[in-house]
Amino acid sequence: MLSRVADALFWMSRYLERADHLARAVDVTFHLDLDLHGVLANPVELEWNALLTLLRQPPPPVADGEHPVAAVQRWLLLDMANPGSVMSCVNRSRNNARSIRGSISPPMWRELNKLHWRLSDPSLRGRVAESPHDFCQETQLGVLLFHGVCESTLTHDEGWHFIQLGRHLERADKILRILDSKFSLLERGDGVDLPIRALQWGAVLKNCAAYEAYQRLYISRVEPERVVEFLLVNPDFPHSVRFCLTRIMQSLTAISGRLPERCDDEVVRTVGRLLNDLVYLDGTSLDGERLHAFLGDALARCARIGHHLHEQYALQ
Amino acid sequence: MRLPAAVPSIAAPAARFPRSLESCGATRPVRSGTVGMNHEHGRADGDVGGDVGSLLGDYELGLAYDEMIAADASARPHYLPLHRRLAQTSADDFRRRKAMTDLSMRQDGVGFTVYRAEEGIERVWPMDPVPRIIPAAEWRRIEAGLIQRINALNLFLWDIYHEQHILRDGIVPARLVLQGGYFRREFVGVNVPRRIYIHICGTDLIRAADGEYLVLEDNARTPSGVSYMLQNRQVLKRVFPALFSDYDVLPNDDYPAALLDVLQYIAPESATQPTAVLLSPGMYNSAYFEHSFLAQRMGIELVEGRDLLVDGNRVFMRTTRGRQRVDVIYRRIDDDFLDPLTFRPDSALGVPGLVNAYRAGTVALANSIGTGIADDKGVYPFVPDMIRYYLQQDPLLNNVETFRPEIPAQRSHVLANLDRLVVKRVNESGGYGMLVGPASTREQREEFRREIEANPRDFIAQPTIQLSTHPTFVDGRLEGRHVDLRPFILCGERVSVTPGGLTRVALPKGSLVVNSSQGGGSKDTWVLAEGRS
Repeated sequence: MLSRVADALFWMSRYLERADHLARAVDVTFHLDLDLHGVLANPVELEWNALLTLLRQPPPPVADGEHPVAAVQRWLLLDMANPGSVMSCVNRSRNNARSIRGSISPPMWRELNKLHWRLSDPSLRGRVAESPHDFCQETQLGVLLFHGVCESTLTHDEGWHFIQLGRHLERADKILRILDSKFSLLERGDGVDLPIRALQWGAVLKNCAAYEAYQRLYISRVEPERVVEFLLVNPDFPHSVRFCLTRIMQSLTAISGRLPERCDDEVVRTVGRLLNDLVYLDGTSLDGERLHAFLGDALARCARIGHHLHEQYALQ
Repeated sequence: MRLPAAVPSIAAPAARFPRSLESCGATRPVRSGTVGMNHEHGRADGDVGGDVGSLLGDYELGLAYDEMIAADASARPHYLPLHRRLAQTSADDFRRRKAMTDLSMRQDGVGFTVYRAEEGIERVWPMDPVPRIIPAAEWRRIEAGLIQRINALNLFLWDIYHEQHILRDGIVPARLVLQGGYFRREFVGVNVPRRIYIHICGTDLIRAADGEYLVLEDNARTPSGVSYMLQNRQVLKRVFPALFSDYDVLPNDDYPAALLDVLQYIAPESATQPTAVLLSPGMYNSAYFEHSFLAQRMGIELVEGRDLLVDGNRVFMRTTRGRQRVDVIYRRIDDDFLDPLTFRPDSALGVPGLVNAYRAGTVALANSIGTGIADDKGVYPFVPDMIRYYLQQDPLLNNVETFRPEIPAQRSHVLANLDRLVVKRVNESGGYGMLVGPASTREQREEFRREIEANPRDFIAQPTIQLSTHPTFVDGRLEGRHVDLRPFILCGERVSVTPGGLTRVALPKGSLVVNSSQGGGSKDTWVLAEGRS
């Protein structure tokens, strides 16, 4: 397959995953904000700024008479001036898809195109100021439809695997970031009541679409250590880092056409080492400082995976 | 040479013709007996001012030939079932189907992009849901005429790039060819695969007031539009299936497969399993939708210049598993941009070394290099002569009458009638440097007069011809709008013409501009099976 096509498939998928995560994060934060409004002194400050920090974004410009929270929502969801906004990500994903329209199935293109047009709908966008919920739901639904169509209409060959690589690498990266930012934030919140902590850690789970899955597995109150364990090393849940890396490894071996143990390139080595570290991770050894170091290191290794991928397959 | 009629009918160049010619001739309303009283959809139709159901009420005929309605206001026989069906359709119902058409096109991403500054403006491909119908017998004549014409053009190209008999025999002026901007002297003596230069041709036809089909121009370089032809059929089947039940319409869906056959036919003989690719300038090109559509339908890679490289006179594409050999390139890039080493050095779209590889015969190109001279406006008047010269046949399709100011008698006629003629520069395409007499100012005519007197060889002139009209849905009812027709011809092991073609519509009333970038629309174009028309 053309290197340019592989590159576009990878980024089409990666930007779409980014849009999905951001839409979910805004939706979750919006509802958490409503929950904490009467409890904490300044939930706006706490939660929305935490989200911006996680995204490594400075506070957005606030228009005259605009509520700061509305400004953040507009900036993160709609603003094309923000290259990381949901709208920008969907747009970039669609542009990548358009540049290789012949290499994806027509229904995939149609779903992505429909998503773009739905999110451009003035009435949907107009409702964001009151509640971002509909817009966020449309985004997540569109992404799921796209991947559903992709799953059953695109041959699961090399191109499909590049789509999986983009999706799971972005997802692993986002989970690590969410854990890292929330953990340091919540570690400091010593005086906070237990129910509030549960609410905040519940939000972390919801950010990773993991709330119900967690409940089902642990059947207990939301405990930070368990949340970390679940999102890092659960082998079966689609939004755990380990699950993502396993998928990445599968796609890499499928693309190279060799058995994992016969792969000796930098990408596979980097993925394999990180995956092993996760499989044999001793969760109890990770207190605040060490966890932070581990997450930071894992993030850097994910960045290296992306870098090696581009070198290996002459992506652009 | 025929002299122009006493009252010149207006306007020829189907493409890009300013919309200033509305007042040519009276119009008269047609009250159609079969039209009008069906109210089954019931809702009042307030904003259009017509009766519900009277889609075709008060249909106005102009001076032009109307495809559906004859001069006595009755529907032509092959349009009768459609006419009846439209009479049973309310304006509301039709408006709903038009909206479904637009939605389908938008969701499929069928469109073209107009880029202004940073912002890309995407325009949805406009299709009018009233199809254009061509009876079988009529199509047989068009088809035979087009086949004859492309055969002559291919013989002409082989000739002028080799022995140049036609120039030495004085049939076509040598200067016109050898000094033509699209003549590639680098390719004299080069043997192209299977002796075919033009593999893909999109010929623009218009209809004169008496209904005769005339060739307006041959597009022998990188003609576009075929994907829209196919998409129009798909969408019309979706939004108005009942229309099809009244007719036996020949399918047009075979085009991509036929094109792939052509590409494989011209592959170098050394390639047992030839790899064909489609070379596109990329997603910012206005025809990008078509490039990706055709690549997908043929199952071949869509490549850009940067995906290809030439090594040892052989062409490769850069893949995730290293280099892969390329045997045939369906290129949608003009000659000028194909190879910065041979043609324009500033081209970032092309592939360095591609032309030498082509010359060495290791890769095939469709269309070949240097075909532009065959659809040059200066050469156009001689195509009927080519047909007689190479094929010893009379042309089955006539040209639009064309004057060459180079000939003194014709020059004086052109200069005396600048306000009635369309004057075109040879060596130019895309509607640049044209004078449209009836729409021109005195200053423009004087400027052209001076230029024609100074360089008469650089111009041709044609009478303005009214394009035929076709009922088209506008503001809640059907009105006559001017149309042209671009059939698509493929030349490989044999010559084939896809039934139908792309019908383009000038949407503003009276306008003759059918270009989609200038507000033109389109229609699905039906060719009827034998025995039904």
